Amino acid sequence: MNRALLRISLACLVMFVLLLINMNYVQAFETGKLAAEPGNIRVFDEQFTYQRGSIIANGDGTDLKIAESVPVKGTDTYQRYYPDGPVYAPVTGYDTIYSTSGIEQAENSYLSGTNPKLAVHNLGALLTGKQKQGATVELTISPAAQQAAYTALAGDGGHPAALVAISPSTGAILALASYPTFDPNQLATQDGAKLDKVDQQLLTNPSQPLLNRAISETYPPGSSFKIVTSSAALSTGAVASPNTPVYAPSPLTLPNGNLLVNDGGEICGDGMPPMIQAFWMSCNTAFGHLGSTMGAPTLRRYSSQFGMNRSLFIPLHVVPSVLPEGSGWTDPSLTAFSAIGQYNDAVTPLQEAMFSAAIANGGKLMYPYLVQQVVGPGLAVIQGAKPSVLSQAVSPAVASDLQSMMYEVTHNTGGTAYQTAGPQVTGGITIDGKTGTAQNGIDNGNLNDAVFTCFVPGTAGQPSPIAVGVIVQGGGFGADAAAPIAVQVIRAYLQAHS
Amino acid sequence: MTVAADANRPVAMPRGRRRTELVMLAFAVAVVLLAYAAVGLGLRGKLPGLPADLVAFAALMVVAHLAIRRFAPHADPLLLPLAALLNGLGIVMIYRLQESGRNGNPGLQVTDMSTSATTTQLLYTGVGVAVLVAVLVLIREVRVLQRYTYTLGAVGLVLLAIPAMLPASHSVVNGAKVWIIFGSGFSVEPGEFARLALAVFFAGYLVSKRDVLALAGRRVLGVVLPRARDLGPVLIAWAASLLILIFETDIGTSALFFGMFVVMLYIATQRTSWLLIGVTLFVAGSWLTALAVPHVMERFTVWLHPFAGSNATGIAYQPVQALEGLAFGGLFGTGLGQGQPYHTPLVQSDFIFSAFGEELGLVGVMALLLVFGLLVQRGLRAAVAVPDPFSKLLIGGLSFVLALQIFVIVGGVSGLIPLTGITTPFLSQGGSSLVASWILVALLVRVSDTARGPAPQPIQDEGMTQVVRAG
Repeated sequence: MNRALLRISLACLVMFVLLLINMNYVQAFETGKLAAEPGNIRVFDEQFTYQRGSIIANGDGTDLKIAESVPVKGTDTYQRYYPDGPVYAPVTGYDTIYSTSGIEQAENSYLSGTNPKLAVHNLGALLTGKQKQGATVELTISPAAQQAAYTALAGDGGHPAALVAISPSTGAILALASYPTFDPNQLATQDGAKLDKVDQQLLTNPSQPLLNRAISETYPPGSSFKIVTSSAALSTGAVASPNTPVYAPSPLTLPNGNLLVNDGGEICGDGMPPMIQAFWMSCNTAFGHLGSTMGAPTLRRYSSQFGMNRSLFIPLHVVPSVLPEGSGWTDPSLTAFSAIGQYNDAVTPLQEAMFSAAIANGGKLMYPYLVQQVVGPGLAVIQGAKPSVLSQAVSPAVASDLQSMMYEVTHNTGGTAYQTAGPQVTGGITIDGKTGTAQNGIDNGNLNDAVFTCFVPGTAGQPSPIAVGVIVQGGGFGADAAAPIAVQVIRAYLQAHS
Repeated sequence: MTVAADANRPVAMPRGRRRTELVMLAFAVAVVLLAYAAVGLGLRGKLPGLPADLVAFAALMVVAHLAIRRFAPHADPLLLPLAALLNGLGIVMIYRLQESGRNGNPGLQVTDMSTSATTTQLLYTGVGVAVLVAVLVLIREVRVLQRYTYTLGAVGLVLLAIPAMLPASHSVVNGAKVWIIFGSGFSVEPGEFARLALAVFFAGYLVSKRDVLALAGRRVLGVVLPRARDLGPVLIAWAASLLILIFETDIGTSALFFGMFVVMLYIATQRTSWLLIGVTLFVAGSWLTALAVPHVMERFTVWLHPFAGSNATGIAYQPVQALEGLAFGGLFGTGLGQGQPYHTPLVQSDFIFSAFGEELGLVGVMALLLVFGLLVQRGLRAAVAVPDPFSKLLIGGLSFVLALQIFVIVGGVSGLIPLTGITTPFLSQGGSSLVASWILVALLVRVSDTARGPAPQPIQDEGMTQVVRAG
């Protein structure tokens, strides 16, 4: 019988070896896959048991905590706290027990400490018994600009609106505001039922507070798109210089026989004004004609050079601003409308800021970004921002031409933004800009979207400090509704950095 | 063996190795105490006081050691320390799970474990040790059990059948109809004891019939097939295990019974055909049952597609929790008291191995599996060494079924094979399983004592008469 017993022993050995192999498989090779299974309670619960990293706004040179994890009294758990919740909500997003958004989502692996780059620290924590900790994410946001933007947007008659401010030379985003917004503290609860209730309220709220209008929604750019049309005209040689006369009848008869009129039926100079005048007066007929002459593909190419027609990750996802291709999109009669920011053109407020930023930076468009650096629990910098060029929108010479054209918009008494962004209202700050008043297709009467894009030009040896894009939905005339908001943000920012 | 010229000189007794056993037992108890301290640190961040339960545990193990020293002085010194380590770690884990969500410890709000679960488990450990002592005192040679072959066979069948006969209110706990519920919270899982009784029956029956089973038969395709009439008992065992499967919805137990019977048949006859027939019958039977009984089919579905559709939150919830717990533990585990094993429903019984996997990690479960493996190996070793065929068969079968039980439950918990609800020996909460495990240890101790002990001395020197060890 012993021979049979030895064979049975072998069978037992095989069973144990199978178990050992399978345990190795489950606990060493499948862990990642199992941890990622939706509804993994342990991974879900673990989020409360460690201190998630803070989010810091560092754009003014000092650290301001805009999101942190604080211990919940009487428990071993932590909960998210947003000191200025609504102001920074479009940036931070929320961190609920079920989902995240904004930076909370985009930088989750660092904030939660699961990023492999943090593994060395967390291994140390494992050995020393210290608790796992997330990394701190430092943002380029300037609290001064962000706070001013929020206050200005909220004080603008309750219109849905958004503003983005960028540092043109780096692409660092200084402010990213959206209104109406929400308080992420309401969502930072461990009580699932309460969260569901708040979530329902936010989702069904007709003013869409969860919508990040600065990067997730597009609006017709209106006349601000004339920056792209002018750039294309000057770059392709269709117009030799800003002082070259351009064809600007009132009205313009389009190839299909329809008429294109100027805002309010205004006469544009003598019908052949220099382009710079057509620009500061924002003549539709001049740029409509230029556009239909150059053709839609040329306009689209230059819009792409300004960062349109593609997604961006800042690292939040930015919906593409578009001059879309579609059936019949090259019809010159339609292109005339595309050239003045109507028809199917649609841009984000971030894109508005990028128009100005490219011009302000000598035509070089920097890739916009929010995260300055990620600092590990041991205060070691794990990742630092490396500014990169998104594209060369125009040559430095054309950029310089556009700068002088945008200067006239706010400094020529006939400029569309002279009253609201001219030197007499900015406290001496030079702001170059372009207004836009876009028919949004909802009601062409008084619900126009107000658009303003502008920058503070650089001085000798100093790059341009800030470029701003504002869109106020249904705000009316761009110069009236949008420009003052940009001015307030620029003043607040320059004051903090003087 | 040659008869020594000076046969009057006392033969040197083989060393008993009881001191070795004591040292290893102390080591095992120390590991248990450290694990308990780790639970305290993990749950509350400070060392717990020395609990009466664990002092009692240590005392019980000393009692077991003294009993072995007195009644089985030549027994294998590894058996008791291995059993003590497993039993102690089981108690520590039950304590840890009992504290989930209680006394300010993290865990689910409502844990279905009683606040006295640890004490109860310790009480059953005491019963187990008492039974160990009783077995050692009463059964001086395992082969005397052969006299009760048919009695124990009948007892085993009755024990097995009782839950099937009882109304659900007196036999069903958590969906398994394998209990006898006496009311007031006291219940017994007779299958655990039936297995031991039937093992004795199988061993007795096979020892007496093994020659005819081994020799008669025709050769077909190189395999010697048994005669049809000799197949009878096999078919009865097979039918009985299928009946258990159907009436008690308990695949695990039926697999254990059938596996035990087939393997003992194989050991007795050394004929591979029995193994082939047995495995074929079991696979065919399981498959037919799966087709006929939705509950059994569901087990296969859960095994193959735990995350498909709504399985993870529905029928596969428990095994999915176990798998995610194992993954959460990873290589080194979360540390005792620091994982979240309480998410797995009924983790303290069938799924306790996943709790160890979560909190001790891969290294911990590999160590546990090696401890189990060592116990099985020591059992098989005793079976090889013991001369008496009945003891050989009984202990060989029981050791194999211990390995099979671990394979079935650990493999089920970790997704290697379809899950079947059986206990993890020594670790799971529950008195029946624990006491039965201690009976098994007692039998192993007794057989290893017989195997390692000195050959029986002739009562008087009769010249040419000599003792020949059977083998």
